[in-house]
Amino acid sequence: MEVEEKLALLNYKTDPEYAHITVNPKICETCPDHFCTFACPAKCYTLIEGKLNFKYEDCVECGTCDVACSHGSVAWTNPKGGHGIKYKFG
Amino acid sequence: MSEFDAIVVGAGPAGSSAAIKMASQGLKVLLVERGEPPGSKNVSGGILWGKDLDAILPDWEKTAPLERYVERKVTSFLTKDSEISIDFKTKKFEQTKTGYSVLRTKFDQYLAKRASQAGAMVVSGITVDGLAIKDGRVIGVINEGDTITGDCVILAEGPNPRVAMAAGLRSKPEDTDVAIGVKQVYKLSEAAINERFNLRQNSGFAGEYVLSYLENDIFAGGFLYTNKDTISMGVVINIETLRRDGRTHSYDIMEQFVQHPFISRLVEGGTLQEYSAHFVYEGGYESLAKPYGEGYMLVGDTAGFSFSNGMILQGMNYAISSGIMAGETVIEAKKDNDFSEKSLSRYMDRLEKSPAILDKKNFAGMNKVVWSSLVHRAVPEMLESSLGMMLYENGEPKKHLTDIMMKSISSTELTKKDLIMQGYRLMRRM
Amino acid sequence: MAVEIIVMVKQVPDSQEVVIDPVTMNLNRSMTRNVTNRADENALEAALSIKDKIGANVTVISMGPPQAETTMIECLARGADRAILVSDRFFGGADTYPTGLTLAATISKIGKYDIIIAGEESSDSSTGHVGPGVAEFLDIDQITYASNVDYEDGYVIGERELEDGTEVVKVPTPVLVTVLLNSNDPRRQTLRRKIDAIRKGFEVWNIEKVGLPPEWVGVRGSPTIVRRMRSIKEKERAGKKYDLTNLGELVKELYEKKVLKMEEE
Repeated sequence: MEVEEKLALLNYKTDPEYAHITVNPKICETCPDHFCTFACPAKCYTLIEGKLNFKYEDCVECGTCDVACSHGSVAWTNPKGGHGIKYKFG
Repeated sequence: MSEFDAIVVGAGPAGSSAAIKMASQGLKVLLVERGEPPGSKNVSGGILWGKDLDAILPDWEKTAPLERYVERKVTSFLTKDSEISIDFKTKKFEQTKTGYSVLRTKFDQYLAKRASQAGAMVVSGITVDGLAIKDGRVIGVINEGDTITGDCVILAEGPNPRVAMAAGLRSKPEDTDVAIGVKQVYKLSEAAINERFNLRQNSGFAGEYVLSYLENDIFAGGFLYTNKDTISMGVVINIETLRRDGRTHSYDIMEQFVQHPFISRLVEGGTLQEYSAHFVYEGGYESLAKPYGEGYMLVGDTAGFSFSNGMILQGMNYAISSGIMAGETVIEAKKDNDFSEKSLSRYMDRLEKSPAILDKKNFAGMNKVVWSSLVHRAVPEMLESSLGMMLYENGEPKKHLTDIMMKSISSTELTKKDLIMQGYRLMRRM
Repeated sequence: MAVEIIVMVKQVPDSQEVVIDPVTMNLNRSMTRNVTNRADENALEAALSIKDKIGANVTVISMGPPQAETTMIECLARGADRAILVSDRFFGGADTYPTGLTLAATISKIGKYDIIIAGEESSDSSTGHVGPGVAEFLDIDQITYASNVDYEDGYVIGERELEDGTEVVKVPTPVLVTVLLNSNDPRRQTLRRKIDAIRKGFEVWNIEKVGLPPEWVGVRGSPTIVRRMRSIKEKERAGKKYDLTNLGELVKELYEKKVLKMEEE
């Protein structure tokens, strides 16, 4: 089963106004490893034609990318109250 | 004069236990949780060893949403073709149950409700943006520009504690401090689970796995627990080796575990209900943060209280016990009206006598062994080849056990000297 | 005198979690948690924007079971001044007719009102009846499906999205407005307001307080009879993939299947 199908099972309350994680494209442009694309379990980080593409909407708030990025590109905060992932089982 | 005696950030087992303890003694407690409802952000890859709850909720075993008690405990090495296990079943815990599988969304909501019934004000769906600090003292929490004051702030944010990190009370985790937990929950009928795992209606199975089949020298563990009519399973991935490899996706490691021949038949016919990911705190004694200071305390995973030796994972129990100890400390501090660092150091006195710290101290360096090539590659490979030779007929004359072992050792990548040294370390640390 | 705004809200099962039991055809609510109807959050935001501008009083009303408490607290935490939960076992099982009647009676009891705002419809039944129904019971004007609501000197100005443009209507108060889902970005609840809301609490009105006879409300007052429900089976897709850089193949196939027609030369 593809991870996209697994993510489709999840309930998110997306905050259209606030991206709780941001990346610095200037840093990502010169990144030699793009380890985030391997570490993130929700496939929020992908390479499209060699360029890093990030979407916060699928984030499950584990914090992995912040540890994974050793180049200081990821700015990680909690989503604002009630927004983000909403697990049913946990 | 503060608005609350204590403000607790995070309604997981640690935060709710602290809130229940304090509120039941009449303290004015605010418990703030960013999930709505409480529990909807929380995930666990472990069993609840819940004895500590007796102190604050004597009826918890009758009232909490518990799934199954642990009757069968399995520790396994999984190689590409084989599973080598210690499979321990016991009737010993049938009466006095020690561990339960739980689903955290329901369980944490229950705990938060109990905190509310004990008199704490529980506010969910609100994210604390930061701590209010004045003259080097934590005096409250900040949300959307408003400061809410409390004599003491207890941070119970879990293993990804953004408020504690932003205030410099916890450092950003290193690769070896945390592991990536990825989890899946499958729906399967109660009858199918009972039959498949050799269980009775309330008894359960808890399995921990070493995933030695992984390619590219990545280290990861696996877990699988039975709930009433669902199965929780997942992987715990070591970040250091994932980074060194640099070409394997964490989500593929999860899928490979599901696809393993001896795991896939355990969840066969089940329908996937949920996919989740959460940090597992792995840091050892040496990387523990100082869990108290002027007007604040850290509890549970936020303080780094978790323990794993590959055969037992513990976290929720320390969360509960550290929450209760922090609560007791606030109750004492309130009597003296002294929330200084010195007064709150009584929390540390309590911790030092408790398993939350003692387990880490006594098993210092455990992580280096748990995440070693000895455990993840050499031992399983050796066991697989020697058991294969010992337990199956292959048309050749039988050999002595020592010869088999030596032959198996020579087939692993480690030298004999490495093996003896690492083996000795392992024995010492267990 | 401050402008009085009443916002009608409803607690609904989280639509992302709703599962229909294939046997009984009923909603399986065992795994479903309740949330505030999203369009009603937009209605509240529309009211709070007017309040920001002219300093109105915003009262939230809802008809529902006691667990709608979380919705009432949430609305206060977003900035409403007062919240009334109309809750009584007599109101249970109501279709849209007695629901509108009950809410209209509640509003009459509140007394003064200039603007009533509701979401266009609830996500659990999607009728869109209740808002207009309340306007009819109260015999006041209504602006439905508004994308924007404003107030100026005794008039409500509503923008309505039509197929071929936008209609702007200006109606003297009192007036009822239903607003479109996602027509604005609802403001956040704050910790300060939520603490105050929990302390202050909200009002619960029963049938005596609303002042309606029991036979007019709830299941007894409901003319609707649901005869049958059917679930829709998803069509099996062919699962065929097309190369997007070569659309000619797709166009040709659609033409052969007579989905597309060639324009007459």
